[in-house]
Amino acid sequence: MGMNTLTLGLRNAFRNTVRTVSLMIILGISIGLCLVMLIAHQAVAQKIRDIKASVGNTITVMPAGFSDFSQANNALTTAQLDGVKTLPHVASVTESLTDRLSTIGATDSFPFGRGGSSTATTSLKSPVTLDDSGKTGRLFIRGGGQLPADFSLPVSILGTTDPAHMDSAALTLSSGAALDGAKDSNTALVSTAMAGKNNLKVGSTFTAYNTKLTVAGIFTSASRAGDGTVIVPLPALQRLTGQSGAVDNAVVTADSLDNLANVTSAIKQKLGSNADVTSAQDAADSTVGSLENVATISLLSLIGALIAGSVIILLTMVMIVRERRREIGILKAIGGSNARVVLQFMCEAVTLTVAGAVVGVLIGVAGGNPVTNMLVQGAASSSTSAAAGMGRPAGIGAGIGRFGGGQSFAARPTTGGFLQRNGNSLANSAHNISANIGWNVLIYGLGAAVVIALIGSALAGWMIARIKPYEVMRAE
Amino acid sequence: MITVTDLTRTFQSGDSTVTAVDNVSLTVPDGRFASIIGKSGSGKSTLLSLLGALDTPTSGSIEIAGRDITRLSEHALITYRRKQIGFVFQGYNLIPNLTALENVMLPMSFNGVRGNERKIRAAALLDQVGIEGVKQQRKPGRLSGGEQQRVAIARALANRPSLILADEPTGNLDSETGKMIFDLLHNLARSQKTTIIVVTHDLSIAGRTDESFRLQDGKLVTL
Repeated sequence: MGMNTLTLGLRNAFRNTVRTVSLMIILGISIGLCLVMLIAHQAVAQKIRDIKASVGNTITVMPAGFSDFSQANNALTTAQLDGVKTLPHVASVTESLTDRLSTIGATDSFPFGRGGSSTATTSLKSPVTLDDSGKTGRLFIRGGGQLPADFSLPVSILGTTDPAHMDSAALTLSSGAALDGAKDSNTALVSTAMAGKNNLKVGSTFTAYNTKLTVAGIFTSASRAGDGTVIVPLPALQRLTGQSGAVDNAVVTADSLDNLANVTSAIKQKLGSNADVTSAQDAADSTVGSLENVATISLLSLIGALIAGSVIILLTMVMIVRERRREIGILKAIGGSNARVVLQFMCEAVTLTVAGAVVGVLIGVAGGNPVTNMLVQGAASSSTSAAAGMGRPAGIGAGIGRFGGGQSFAARPTTGGFLQRNGNSLANSAHNISANIGWNVLIYGLGAAVVIALIGSALAGWMIARIKPYEVMRAE
Repeated sequence: MITVTDLTRTFQSGDSTVTAVDNVSLTVPDGRFASIIGKSGSGKSTLLSLLGALDTPTSGSIEIAGRDITRLSEHALITYRRKQIGFVFQGYNLIPNLTALENVMLPMSFNGVRGNERKIRAAALLDQVGIEGVKQQRKPGRLSGGEQQRVAIARALANRPSLILADEPTGNLDSETGKMIFDLLHNLARSQKTTIIVVTHDLSIAGRTDESFRLQDGKLVTL
């Protein structure tokens, strides 16, 4: 049976069971809240770091005011972009041009998208089909009615200087060979879905712009947008569409993340009002902006919960000291020094808070993830719209409205879609936070308990030191 | 030898000054059993707390074994109380959540006595005052007033003090138990050569001590 100061303090903590249990619950909630907020803060801070690290160092350049809803644009030109290539810290520039082709013989009376007025046709049929069977608003068709039986979605065609990539992702060829993006040739890459739909294999030919194109390779695509896309070298599409030197999208890669801002402003300066220049960092910043709010809120809540816990233990210890004034006097009278008596009461406070911390850790473990998600979801709407706003508005066409009521059908396979998709995926991943709860939670919980106990018992300690031992002689 | 010279303690009570102990001088030789008697409010307890270094006098000196304890630092006073003084209070003042044995061990733990030695010595002291067996494991609430006061006496003896100060030690006890406690203290004074100063208003007790002092309005008056 130990009888030292620490064990005395420990035993005193359980002297009044009702009070101890009540205090354990109250402190448990307070410490639990601390931990929940700490977990949320850590998870969100980690997410912010991850997002910032993952955005890459690319800058999207598009013709000024360019959107699917507007056909009146001056395209950028290869010549203008040549000026960008020579800017310092520019590692590479990928230029692209897009168009949309109607399928020969199919009904395409809907003025789809930017290319809605295009009269260009192709022998290809899009492998992407629309489901209008439900008639429950899955399709929105202006003026009502149903899709004609021979309806076929337009085929997107992408001319790019970098045919090895689509939407900044490397293309995987299942057969055939890669294209040279700089060489003007009537060759194309088609998706496996497109090849299947149109019975194509490497070496097959199809018609587009009344010109015979040869399938050089077949790539695997993970998206419906990719499935419905034909890739050709940029100069070929410029020639086929009669838009010599035109570019509707360029992705500039800076040599490092650190130079991203400088390169972005240099491009803006270079192209002036001709182009809309957006860096990936901008999209990330708008996405993490709301997360940073969550991080701040959780940090403030953490501090608030710590203060609340400290005030609870402070008031409790003051109450305990007041009711044990006589006992403190006795301890001093029989030889207990101030330091020892204060230490004993601090030990009592630490015991009470650690007991509360046990409850708090349980609350923290149980509540960490739900509260993190709740906080993040609360900030979701603003960040989603911000992120989506960085890319082009989704939707397949101005005339027909939007299929599926929003962004379910990715409009165009351009790298311009990158930002939108990337923005959305950033936003989505930003909201999909899983808090990491491990042993550190326990350590933080105990740490919070000790901090609360030390802060909370400071006033009690001061009061104890002021109690004169002769008070014990009075008021018997 | 305890030598008290011109000891005065005043308290501020509102606008007026109350002199609880007024220019008291007395001497108690070592190993004597002395009593201080007086009515309630005569300053007995204040004098006792001054002797026990629980309080500091407004003026005057208290020499114990040749040392003026009124000039000691706060730290030295704590050490003095711990090593030289044993207190017995009217209300026993045991720590309620500690057993009788633990209450006696407590001053020893303040004095750095090792655990096992504490336990053996505390048990022996309790045996000496007549608290034996399972009663040593009882908390104060489960002991009678007389038993609690015995535990308090055992606690006062824990660090082998040279001076035991008892404030109305029989005040809360019936006359028979009071007499037993008084005898116990008396025997201790004889057997252990411990100086004991008892504050009481019970003249029958005062009559049986070696020395007796009477306080009246803070002043020492001849019996």
